[in-house]
Amino acid sequence: MDIFNLIQSNLLTPIILFFLFGIIAARIKSDLKIPEAISEFLPIYLLAAIGLHGGIEMRKTGFEEMLIPMLVAIGLSLLFTLNHYQILKRLGKFNIFDSYALASTYGAVGAVTFSVGLSFLKNQGVTSEGYLAAILAVLEPVAFIMAIFLTNMAVSKQIRSKKQSFSKDDASDIDIGMKETKTKLSQVLQESITGKAIVILLGSIVIGYIIGEEGFEPISIVFDELFTGAIVIFMIEMGIIAGQRLEDIKKVGMFLTAFAIIMPTFNGIIGVLVSTALGLSLGGAVMFGLLLASASFIAAPAVLRHAIPQANPSLYITSALGITFPYNIIVLLPIMFTVSTLVHGEEAIDLFNYVTKVFI
Amino acid sequence: MKLYNVKLLTITCEILAQKNIIDILKNHNITGYTSYEVDGNGEKGLRGQGIQAEKNVKVEIIMREEKLSDVIEDISRTLFPDFTIILYVSDVGVVRTEKF
Repeated sequence: MDIFNLIQSNLLTPIILFFLFGIIAARIKSDLKIPEAISEFLPIYLLAAIGLHGGIEMRKTGFEEMLIPMLVAIGLSLLFTLNHYQILKRLGKFNIFDSYALASTYGAVGAVTFSVGLSFLKNQGVTSEGYLAAILAVLEPVAFIMAIFLTNMAVSKQIRSKKQSFSKDDASDIDIGMKETKTKLSQVLQESITGKAIVILLGSIVIGYIIGEEGFEPISIVFDELFTGAIVIFMIEMGIIAGQRLEDIKKVGMFLTAFAIIMPTFNGIIGVLVSTALGLSLGGAVMFGLLLASASFIAAPAVLRHAIPQANPSLYITSALGITFPYNIIVLLPIMFTVSTLVHGEEAIDLFNYVTKVFI
Repeated sequence: MKLYNVKLLTITCEILAQKNIIDILKNHNITGYTSYEVDGNGEKGLRGQGIQAEKNVKVEIIMREEKLSDVIEDISRTLFPDFTIILYVSDVGVVRTEKF
């Protein structure tokens, strides 16, 4: 199918329509809003459903298969975070804090985007590998931890060079700086591992693995059939929040707006190509690409506000939620699906050939 | 009944600064506080709506005057540059002064 046809038909799915509807509701200043308890409940529900499915699939396939894709995903996520930082710092002229915060926001994954991707594939009648849910859980803290580590290193380096110009006996200060970095990192690690997103996701994967297909049968009406419907309700909320932030998009500037569209496209397509080369299925490659393309906007503020408080939160929240999220679910998903179909269509996968074909 | 004079420190801030404030209080051996979610308008525009991480809270701490200036200094030094915070102090009377 032609990319534009696919984007067009994607636009007319309930998920996207309700998202756009939410934006309109916010623009006309309607008092429509999803009750807080429900909008807090829905991400938990979505993650539970994703985890259960992942667990059930992993019971069928075993763990060995997921090891290499997971390591590759972690490697790419780290690489992309470094790449984002260089682009933001050098080309975008952002300060070091904003650069690292934005770099890790875009290196991290978005669980809501992932849910929308699953339902997009369902719509296309395509399945994906279950272990991607486990990769989602593992990838969540990776980019943050690296960005926080590098920020602290950079800051203590600055302090050290400043101190050195004043006096020679400053070893204690450096030690204190290093110690602070360590406590900050272990705190972030602990907080994100015990954070509700990862706990519910890992818990559901384990439970899905234990219960298997048969055990899932009695609860499938809640966790399978209601899945897309639940996303639709959540999309109203996401649309409203995105709509309220439309003015802020002007404040993030041209550079970041372009970054918020070009980077996910680049990361996503690389993800699709790499995962195809690793042997993932058509749908699996799309989800793998989506993992790398998505930006975090629920976990990111909570983590970054503590770890890199100097960074301006409205930059990373607005660009991830107001620009990248809509772009990913409306435009990039169909693009990645088309790319994945193309590369899966041919028998022999000549990665280099496809890279040149896509980018030139 | 006799009322004893103590200070009430009220801090309105973004929800993600709450933990930092409570940590600072702990460093000064203050464990008691009351907090609640609020919304309002200010320099940073309407706040307290939208996503969870952008909520606002109000934290109230009753303490003796001796500790007050140290606590406020710590908060201003570490949190004012990076977080949305409004802080003010009032005089209040309590019955059981040994609780603070």
